Amino acid sequence: MPILRLVAGRILLSIVTLLIVSLIIFGVLEVLPGDVASRILGRDATPEALGQLRDRLGLNDPAPVRYLHWLGGLLSGDFGQSLVSSRPVTEILAPRIYNTVLLSAYAFLLYLPLTILPALVQAIRRDRPVDHGLSIVTLVLLSMPDFLLATILLFTFVVLVPILPAISLVDHSSSAMDYLRAMTLPALTLAIVMAVYAVRMLRDNLIEVLDSDYVRMAELKGLSASRVLLRHALPNALVPTLNVTALNLAYLVGGVVVVEKVFSYPGFGSLLVDSLQLRDLPVIEATVMIAALVYVGANLIADIAAVLLNPRLRTA
Amino acid sequence: MSLDHAATPSHQSALSRYRLLWSQTPQSFRIGLVILLAHLIVAVTGPFWAPYGFSQMGTGIPLSGASWGHPFGVDQLGRDVFSRVVHGSHIVILLSLSGTALGLVVGAVLGLLSGYLGGWFDNLLQRFLEALISIPFLVLALIAIASAGPELSGNPILVVLVVALVYAPRIARMARAAAMDIATRDYVTVARLRGESAWSVMRRELLPNATGVLLVEFALRAGYAPVLVGSLGFLGFGLRPPTPEWGLMISENRALIIITPITVLGPGLALASLVVGLNLFTEGLARILGRTVRLGAQ
Repeated sequence: MPILRLVAGRILLSIVTLLIVSLIIFGVLEVLPGDVASRILGRDATPEALGQLRDRLGLNDPAPVRYLHWLGGLLSGDFGQSLVSSRPVTEILAPRIYNTVLLSAYAFLLYLPLTILPALVQAIRRDRPVDHGLSIVTLVLLSMPDFLLATILLFTFVVLVPILPAISLVDHSSSAMDYLRAMTLPALTLAIVMAVYAVRMLRDNLIEVLDSDYVRMAELKGLSASRVLLRHALPNALVPTLNVTALNLAYLVGGVVVVEKVFSYPGFGSLLVDSLQLRDLPVIEATVMIAALVYVGANLIADIAAVLLNPRLRTA
Repeated sequence: MSLDHAATPSHQSALSRYRLLWSQTPQSFRIGLVILLAHLIVAVTGPFWAPYGFSQMGTGIPLSGASWGHPFGVDQLGRDVFSRVVHGSHIVILLSLSGTALGLVVGAVLGLLSGYLGGWFDNLLQRFLEALISIPFLVLALIAIASAGPELSGNPILVVLVVALVYAPRIARMARAAAMDIATRDYVTVARLRGESAWSVMRRELLPNATGVLLVEFALRAGYAPVLVGSLGFLGFGLRPPTPEWGLMISENRALIIITPITVLGPGLALASLVVGLNLFTEGLARILGRTVRLGAQ
């Protein structure tokens, strides 16, 4: 089976990539910058404190031994202990990842209508003022940094039309309604950022498909315009957008860093920023590895989906 | 649309030739260029005509809104936000362009050599670059800054290096694809048979023929560099206060957005308009060079 071999090859390459990512992260954070212990404790640390920390971190071992130890821990699900709170990293990460997965799912729910509706309107009203207007709007949104979009949405829905909370603090005791309210603004920001890429692509695809022979045929058969558009044109125009959607999932991993920080949402992204500020190395390493894992996984799925959907790529 | 077909009869004056050339450029290119030129003029001349200094306090009533004297309002330290935006212009543009340029040089050299040489060098480099690309770009930028240590944080050179680090692998990927395509041409084979070194083949055969790809790639990346610089500033990992960097200003004034939204919207407008200009310019440039480009940070 050539397809299976191709898929297996891609998976193998992804694993190699992740191994190199782990080498880079370990190298950049633990080997390059000199003595980790003095960087954590600062310049005024006493030699005894430094020695103790070195012992605790196992810094007296040579770097390759430490790397293998760390990698072995990662593979068996042991991410080490936080330097700041001494809690196991997995215990810190788990609720944050849960929150971010919820947020991402919500963002994806908002993303679908935000992509399909404007693109449909643009394709139907091609080259009319509505189409041009929406093109300008998507271009401006595309050019707007996500932290600015988040800030503007915050201002709009918290100050001008006060219906949503400014700070998205939630924990496990929050009710479902609290979660929903807290997540709406960050999810909306992420959804808009993801949708603008897809809208521009879907509009072009839709117009291309609407010009094709089989759509003409469907129109000539006397099918209603809405049926032609929704049942004949849209499904085909959506196929190339799937790839963008997988890439959007990859964007989400980086996007949550800024957006969660803006709304103080206790997710994975704000954990990364906080642990960077605190120089909590084990937490940083674990979050970056997970981010890379999701990114590589999303790209892998996009690749495999492209191969499955387009038989011509199978020989490549 | 291609400029090669521009009719240029000899009796026309130089001016009308340029006018003809200009009228054949895509509209997005023209609008983008005008926006970019406006930004460049402000960046270069701004420090001479800005009403106040970038860290000058007591220019007006703190947290007062937009007025003729203070179009973007006054921040909580009594600094004129419009003057700060104007003073920040050359910082944002300089950091973005030099970071992208450095990324272009490193990425182009690595990518072209890698695509031309192939073999184990290509394989090894590709795996490494692929790994760098698979760390989300903002995350990569943040850990690079964190690993540089506290002595270097807030240093503009660090920001330039980080922008280059983020973009070089992505530019290298494009350059490699272009080099693999060009390497199959006869003139490259001839050059190789002449006994030219890989470096010289790259410089004299690959680079001139990949200019179009690299130019569009540079413009595309440069368009997002201000966003990256701004994001770093916004998260507190970029330049230090009181530098009037736009992302940093948005983050500083954000807490008081309820009182004076204009102090956030002002720098936001500057940043967004710069990126809109760069994006339009890139799209137009790509069309002139006969390429398609999909705008977007990814």
